[in-house]
Amino acid sequence: MTFARNSYRTVVVGSGIVGLFTAYHLARGGGGPVLVVDRGFLSSGSSGRNGGGVRQQWETRGTVRLARESVQAYRRFGREFGFNIWFRQSGYLFLAENEAELARLKSVHELVVSEGLPSRVLDADGVAQFVDGIAPGAAVGGTYLASDGTLYPFPAIWGVYEAARSLGVEVQHGVEAMGVEVRNGRVAGLLTSSGPVATGTVVNAAGGWSGDFSRRAGLDVPNVATRHEILATESTKPFLDPMVVRVSDGLYFSQSMRGEIIGGVALPHRPGTARGQGSSPAFLASMAWALVGLLPRLGALEVLRAWSGFYDDTPDGFPVIGEDPRLPGFVHGNGFGGHGFMLAPATSRRIALAALGQPTDLDPTQFSPARFLAPSPPATQERLQLG
Amino acid sequence: MAEPDRRFSFRGRSRSAHAGETLLAALALDRLPLLHRSIQYHRPQAPFCGIGHCTGCLVRVNGRPNVRACRYEPAAGDVVTAENAWPSPNWDLLATIGFLTPGGVDSLHGLRRPAFATRMYQRMVRRLAGTGAPPTEAGARALSAPALERSADVVVIGAGAAGRAVTAELAQRGVRPIVLERALRPTTLADAELLPATTAVFLPPPTETGGRRFTLLGFREPAQGVRVEARSVVVAAGGYDTSLLFGGNDRPGVLSADAALSLASSSRRPPFQRAVVVGGGPRAARVIETCGDSVEAVVAPGEIRPEVVRTANEHGVPLYPRSLLVRTRGRRRVRSVRLRARGSGVATTLDCDAVVLAHRRIPHAQLFFQAGAAMEWRAGIAAYGPAVRPNGATSVPGLYAIGLAAGNTPAEQAQRAARVAEAVLEDKGPVGPPPSGSAEQAPSELLGYYRELLRLPGHERWVACPCVDVLVSEVEKAVRAGYRGIEVIKRYSSLGTGICQGRYCLPDALLLLSLLEDRPPEKVGYITQRPPVVPTPLAALASLPTPTALEVEP
Repeated sequence: MTFARNSYRTVVVGSGIVGLFTAYHLARGGGGPVLVVDRGFLSSGSSGRNGGGVRQQWETRGTVRLARESVQAYRRFGREFGFNIWFRQSGYLFLAENEAELARLKSVHELVVSEGLPSRVLDADGVAQFVDGIAPGAAVGGTYLASDGTLYPFPAIWGVYEAARSLGVEVQHGVEAMGVEVRNGRVAGLLTSSGPVATGTVVNAAGGWSGDFSRRAGLDVPNVATRHEILATESTKPFLDPMVVRVSDGLYFSQSMRGEIIGGVALPHRPGTARGQGSSPAFLASMAWALVGLLPRLGALEVLRAWSGFYDDTPDGFPVIGEDPRLPGFVHGNGFGGHGFMLAPATSRRIALAALGQPTDLDPTQFSPARFLAPSPPATQERLQLG
Repeated sequence: MAEPDRRFSFRGRSRSAHAGETLLAALALDRLPLLHRSIQYHRPQAPFCGIGHCTGCLVRVNGRPNVRACRYEPAAGDVVTAENAWPSPNWDLLATIGFLTPGGVDSLHGLRRPAFATRMYQRMVRRLAGTGAPPTEAGARALSAPALERSADVVVIGAGAAGRAVTAELAQRGVRPIVLERALRPTTLADAELLPATTAVFLPPPTETGGRRFTLLGFREPAQGVRVEARSVVVAAGGYDTSLLFGGNDRPGVLSADAALSLASSSRRPPFQRAVVVGGGPRAARVIETCGDSVEAVVAPGEIRPEVVRTANEHGVPLYPRSLLVRTRGRRRVRSVRLRARGSGVATTLDCDAVVLAHRRIPHAQLFFQAGAAMEWRAGIAAYGPAVRPNGATSVPGLYAIGLAAGNTPAEQAQRAARVAEAVLEDKGPVGPPPSGSAEQAPSELLGYYRELLRLPGHERWVACPCVDVLVSEVEKAVRAGYRGIEVIKRYSSLGTGICQGRYCLPDALLLLSLLEDRPPEKVGYITQRPPVVPTPLAALASLPTPTALEVEP
């Protein structure tokens, strides 16, 4: 018998940062006993594969607020969870290559400022002060928010994992969720590769695999997994403070606490076709080309390794949080579009509330699974799906 | 030999090198130079691997950080400085970090409170992290070169004995392959287009369509991007002498047999006078043959094979079979090693100025893994290699192995070359998965060796990963905290995430974890071999064709 019990009040599918945080909040909020299942090993999915960026500059008020709350949570993380996640608030710098991009960044800036976050608009000289050695003419300007930052994802996973387990959450790795058992129109159990377990509530926090799992549960969802690649260089002494993000091509990079340059660039993806988490020659070439073009001194740095992970994309770019109206007991906590780590602390609390059947303060037109069932799709979209 | 004529400055002093001599050979006049300090605890480091993977010979050259002295031929006027040491690699005040934190710095749990101090900690830690100073723009611009693009029916990776044998057989059948060779100055090769100083770094799985189905990325020193398309790839990349766990296993003077052999042939003098050779097999015999007068003793974890006994006797070298190598001693350099006889427990101290590790040679298997080849556990060397048919075919159509990668002995590989060449020309592709050869092999004695060794007090302070300064205690702590498997332990402890990408620490980590987790080493897991298999300059990758011309999916 793989599982410690026959029956759980809640089963969370996915042991990434969102799944673990949700399980932690469930255990604290009386949602136990909680079981977490994951098809891989701890940190094998996107939570162990992201660049560690945490930002609050977004195009909608709802996302800015979730991000701001998450930043506060990550500031407290070391004290609450006993792990040092090296959260370093040294800013996110968005770069515009032309006036149209700068105008778009300025509208983000106005929204962010109206939420009480002191973002700044920079001209080309202002940008150069943050990026020592930037190629002349590489940016006409940009925006900068000092309280954005980067963290080291692994200790955050260990911290929440250990905290959840110490609250009695059972975490099983190498167990794949195959579907749900439905009785009287609602969730009655989870079918796994290690056999069935009885539960009234299943939380789909499977990240890049969440669309697959929802469909296995018979739910038609628009989630699409897209593979994004990333690389890390050898380490040097610090010379770059902020996370730098370029609007035009999605280039992003920062210098980690260990001194490595870590980053990626958007490529034309063929969604849903690739299930490997490998790398491509195209990425290595285009990322190197983009980095060296922007910051020529990086040409003399060596790439140590490249890898990839999945963005769990939704049509409007917003996550999906809440119970699926078509299947009571099936709760979504997915669709983060590559930003699950940065939004996890704030969203997981609300996913847990939804799993407990309690109301949340989230705008249903922006975040609920029901929004995709409406006859006309919602008008707002998050297009700042970068970095 | 002519007088050295390439004058360069090393830490402010004028030095010189012959044309064609590496920086390391020019600096290793009669002993290994101290060039570097370890990344976290600033332990002194000298060259260990000698083949361009470890951190032991990293220096800064003309504004470029982390240049491997063993892979760089100095030019007149070069400015070479030390990194990660203040004021110098000989005397480094930052070594106090190691003295102040004898149990290791716990970066996971430590330094997280009080809140007001964390910013200060972070600033301090960030300044201490990283090896060299960042590159200068001039240093980077000097590296830019147009990419080298080639296409051929057959690419051979490696121009050692196995690569040459298969190249000759291909030539007899009218095929002229492109041969990539990592050595800076390989012997010429008549039957092929030889790309010297060129390292293959990324071999993605082949495209399903035939034709030139492989796209191989590499670079030529110092930073020229190389892209080769091919129908078939024969990997003859050989192997390397790997590391061993013991106290002070990265103390300057501890070096691999690869390094000892290459320095003994390329330096003006051998870089040691009294070496203790570790190993009881053919590799140890070769070190004694090459460096005979400079060998003090032979120490083997297990039995010593008759040919080694013979060679050692010819050179009057004493033998210590079935001995635990406990630790090295010496301030900044190896002065002695401490042994303990297995069984009797009798301890011996041998004075020496070097420890040459020749006990275990394992294949460079990274390219096979990347290409998606089925891997098998080779119990005799306790390491993974590709599963290979007698004709060299792997499970990947068009990908072949010969030499150590295929588990061939030197005698076998000469015979195999013709069969491999024929298989490449037939290009039938594999028929089912290759048979596993591991059942025939006796399991490595190293596991039993480590079981005894890791009972010794103080082992928890040994260095499990010299590139990142991960101690054995940190691995043990992770296992005690409930984390299991090499992939998770790697992420928990940072072991294997440094410049050698785990090439030297992971083979031992598998054995260590096997003992800690109480399951066979092959069940502990296999580390995903991420590209590039060797650190590759961004300048080289940036010169490759831009994305529009390339397939996006791997």
